[in-house]
Formats: sequence, C-alpha cells, structure tokens
Amino acid sequence: MTSHSIKADVSRAIDEIRSAFPGVMLDIEPDTEGGAFVKAHEFDLGSQFEPARSWSAFRITFQYPFADIYPHFFVSTLRRKDGKPLGEGFHPNNQWQHPGGNEPATMVSRRSNRRDAATETAALKLAKVLDWIRSR
Amino acid sequence: MKTTFQIDVVLFDRLDRHLFPGDGDEHGALILAGVVETAHERRFLAREIVLARDGLDFVSGKFGYRALPADFVARWSNYCVRENLCYFNVHCHGGRDSVGFSDVDLQSHQRGYPALVDIANGGPIGALVFADNAVAGEIWTREGTDELDSLAVIGLNRRRLYSEPPSIPGFCDEMYHRQSLMFGEIGQHYLANTKVGIIGLGGVGSLVNEYLVRLGVGEIVGVDFDRMERSNRSRVVGSGAADCCDWLRKSRYKWLRQVGERCAARKVSVAERVARAANPRVRFRGIVGDVTYLSDAQELRDVDFLFLCADSMQSRLVFNALVHQYLIPGAQIGSRVQVDKRSGALTNVFSVARLVLPFRGGGCLLCNELIPAAKLQDEALSPEERSRQRYVDDEEVASPSVITLNALGAAQATNDFLFHVLGLFDLSRAKSSYLMHYSRERIWRAAECRAEDSCLHCGTTAASVFARGDRASLPCKN
Repeated sequence: MTSHSIKADVSRAIDEIRSAFPGVMLDIEPDTEGGAFVKAHEFDLGSQFEPARSWSAFRITFQYPFADIYPHFFVSTLRRKDGKPLGEGFHPNNQWQHPGGNEPATMVSRRSNRRDAATETAALKLAKVLDWIRSR
Repeated sequence: MKTTFQIDVVLFDRLDRHLFPGDGDEHGALILAGVVETAHERRFLAREIVLARDGLDFVSGKFGYRALPADFVARWSNYCVRENLCYFNVHCHGGRDSVGFSDVDLQSHQRGYPALVDIANGGPIGALVFADNAVAGEIWTREGTDELDSLAVIGLNRRRLYSEPPSIPGFCDEMYHRQSLMFGEIGQHYLANTKVGIIGLGGVGSLVNEYLVRLGVGEIVGVDFDRMERSNRSRVVGSGAADCCDWLRKSRYKWLRQVGERCAARKVSVAERVARAANPRVRFRGIVGDVTYLSDAQELRDVDFLFLCADSMQSRLVFNALVHQYLIPGAQIGSRVQVDKRSGALTNVFSVARLVLPFRGGGCLLCNELIPAAKLQDEALSPEERSRQRYVDDEEVASPSVITLNALGAAQATNDFLFHVLGLFDLSRAKSSYLMHYSRERIWRAAECRAEDSCLHCGTTAASVFARGDRASLPCKN
C-alpha cells in the first residue's frame, strides 16, 4: 500500500502502534484526506470470548492527534462463551468500512470524552480498548 | 514586500522588563521566531526569548560597548537550526519614539551575520534594537538584507512599534466622521490598513462582514463553500430572493429544482456585494472553499484578525491552530437554542463571543475543552459511515438559528476587534475572558479561560505549534 498521502502525525501514530505491539501485522490504507484506515492482526481478547483472537480495525483521521480514534472493529463472529450477550459498548452486525471493501464486523465504541491530544496516542487508545474488552 | 514582527504581550513584557530595568544601560537578549511568508509580507513570529545575563551572556565588546559571547551565539543558533526557528539578536538603546542601529552595530552584523546565515541554512536571521517605544530591525538572508517595517505586540490591545513615528494622512473620509470623533484619524488609518479573515459567511459571518466594512476595514478575506437557500434569507444580511433562485427551487420539476440549487448565489458573492455597496474601496476577496483544506486555510495566514463564524468542530480546530501558530488574534462567535425534547419548551438560549488571543490564558479553545475529540472524529466520517456507526445519538436535524441572537455575538466580537486593533481596552479592568449572553435572563456573563502547559497549540513544549508559522503543519486535509 502507498503511504505518500498520509499526514506526518498519522504516520507517526502508525509507527507508534508498530512499536507498542511488536509482531502485530498492520494493513494500512490511506484515506483521501491525509488519514489512514488501519487493520491490525491480531490480538488475544481473552478466553471468555469465542474466537479468543481477533483482528482490530480503526480509522485515524487527518486531524489526529486532536481527533479521537473510535470506534474499533473486531471479527464479526465475536460472542461470549457463556452465551450471554456481549453487552454495553459492543455493537454486533456492523461493518468495517474501508476503501478495500466493507466487511462484517463487531463494532466496539469507546469514546474518550476528556482526551488529551498531547498524551493519548493511537497505540494507547488501542491498548485501552483491548484492556476494556478483556475485562468484560 | 513588507517585513514585520509579531510578539505576544506576555513574552514582550518579559523582554521589556529585561531591556529597560531603569538603569539606563544597554542589555541584550535573543528572540527565536517562526515565520510566515506570503507574496506581500514576511512576518516573523516570536516563539521564545532568551535573556542574556549581564556580565555572563552580555559582556564588554571588542568592537562595541557590549556583545554576546561567541559560545552563547553558537549554542542558540544551533538550537534554532534544530528547532527550525529564526535567530534574532536583540539589544536596547536610549530614547523613546525613534531608534536605529549604530555604525558599530551595523559593522558587527557585517562581520558575523554571513556565517550565521550559513549556519541557519540560508536564514532568515537578524537583529532588533529597541528603544522605549520604538524598534528597528535588520533581516539577513543569502539574497541580501531587509529592514523591519513594524512590530506588533499582541495582547488584549494591539500595540505597534516602528523605528520612527509613522506619518499618518490627515484626511478622513466624511463617511467615517462620527466614528473618527471617537478614535481619531489615526484610528481610521489603522482600520484601513487592517486585513481581516472571516471563516463562514452565513448568519453570523454576514453580520460581521457588514460591521467590518462599515467601520472602514481595508481588506477582508471571506471563506465559505456554501450557496444560499431560502431558509438562510432570514439571517444572511444583504441577501434577496434572486440569490436563492426561489422560483426555480419551487418548481414541480426535479430538474428545474436542481438547476435552482446550482444557480443559487454563493454566500461569498452576497458578502462581496454587501461589502462593495458599503465601501467601494474595500479590498474583498471571497474564497469559495473550506478551511479544513490546506490551500484555503493558508489564505488566512497573514490576516491581522480572524473571525470564526462557522459551527463545525473541524473549522474550530483549524481556527485555533491559525490563531496560535501564526499569532493571529481571533474571535469565535455562535449562538445556541436548547429545547426540551419532550415538551418542546425553551430551556436555554445564549449567544457567545469568545476572544481567542495567542498567549497563555488568552482563550485557547483546546485548553477550554471547546473542541471535543469525538466530534472531530464524527465529522470526518462519510455519511454512510456515520449512519452505520450511529447508535445512540439522534438523527441530525437543523438547529434553531435567529438573526437577533447571531447579532448579539457578532456585535460583541466585532466591537472587541475594534477595541483590540485601536488599543482602546482599559487594561486595568478588561480581561480576555469569554462572554456569553443569556437572552432569557437578559444578562451577559464572563467565563475565565484555562491554559494547559502541554497544549499542542498554545503550550510551551517542543511539540506545540505556537508561533511556528509556516514551519509547522496545519490540521487540514491534504
């Protein structure tokens, strides 16, 4: 994938994700505005889920780091092993919409209402979302 | 091409106290500056000052009375290269309203500045000499030298410094007679030489445009991408039925309605017509565009004041960046009507005029949590994405908007602009707070402004874009 149209702040965010999650493979697709669609393969979500591992996808927009990064998308077949509903914050039957095509996904929406652009990176946000899912 | 300097009042007061402590002696300092360069102006933007300590960093000179030691110059010129800033050597002379470099000063520039220009990858670099109420400057690049035309101190009031008192034309157009009785011909001259940007020329921006032109502002740059609709006519001043192509839009045929939509007047065209009717001499430049695109935002880099009259958070972020990155004082204006969703009853009605000045505590919209990160993300989504991801929020509906509410904010903010540009604020009593008018209570309230050291727009960390000018990027689309 080309990355020549991705803004410097967004590229830096992608590099930080690579550093924070060594071994995780990233698919990067530039949007038309300087941002990027990112799909990361893959993460352990916890043994309470089936499947226990999933990719995570999200969009970093051109006004990063001022803009929040949400929602995050995960595999569409995600469910709890105990049969209970996924619960608040999870939105099954959604789609990861990106230039390469739309794919079925489970949406996880975690807004950062008092986000500090100076300290909250895309990598930190991803780590927080993964921690939150694992704690469900 | 004009060469100017801008410095915020907090930095300037620190520099002024250092240069003029009351001992009548000569003192030295450095200003490390960003820069903005357009076809008409090169404007330096003070980001940091370094005060040279007497006897350590400012010592007896080999050729002149005082000089900065070579190691001090080397340390800070290298810092400027690393930080991509322009290096300015500063000292003071006696006197009040006029000042100039001495022959010894100019000879020292000739000896040292060619090497400094090389260290700074071609510059620009330079020197400033201050008197109590004056400044002169010399700018060096590989192409040659330039003299500084003026320096503006940006606070609640704007203060102008020159190398000698400027000559002001004694004639004032009779059109401005009554207002010039308040602030004189010199005030009218300053207004005629002021360039103002307006983001958004709808209900609020059209009023600001009219007020500015009638005050006698010389140059206006208006940015709006939108066309007129019939529902705008109750608020956009100077608009008429023909601007909205009402007769086409009411057609029973869809294709005629579409033609009507395409033929409706641009809001910038309406604003230009209003401006030229009020003052044929005004230089009005309408940009059919959107400040979230870099090329449109860059058109506002060299204005002297900036009004934000658009209501998107993306525009708000770009406005806040322009204010702090380019040291442009500004004002954000808006109004809000809150209605109880169940009963439909009015719960709150207010208008706001937020002065946003480029210094610590000056009203940065980021520090005051007025640019929600979630809204920025939401506005970046395509309509399909937004529809798919909407799960709690209500469907988007048009917000209530009333010309009289818009006028409260627009008049307050434009009056703030007038008092800022002409230096009319009483600094012992006026504060750079946000003002809100609560119409149902018939009351104005002020809100104090917070400031965060780590802010990426107004903060003091290396990551901040404060006063970096063209040497940092704007939060815009490619």
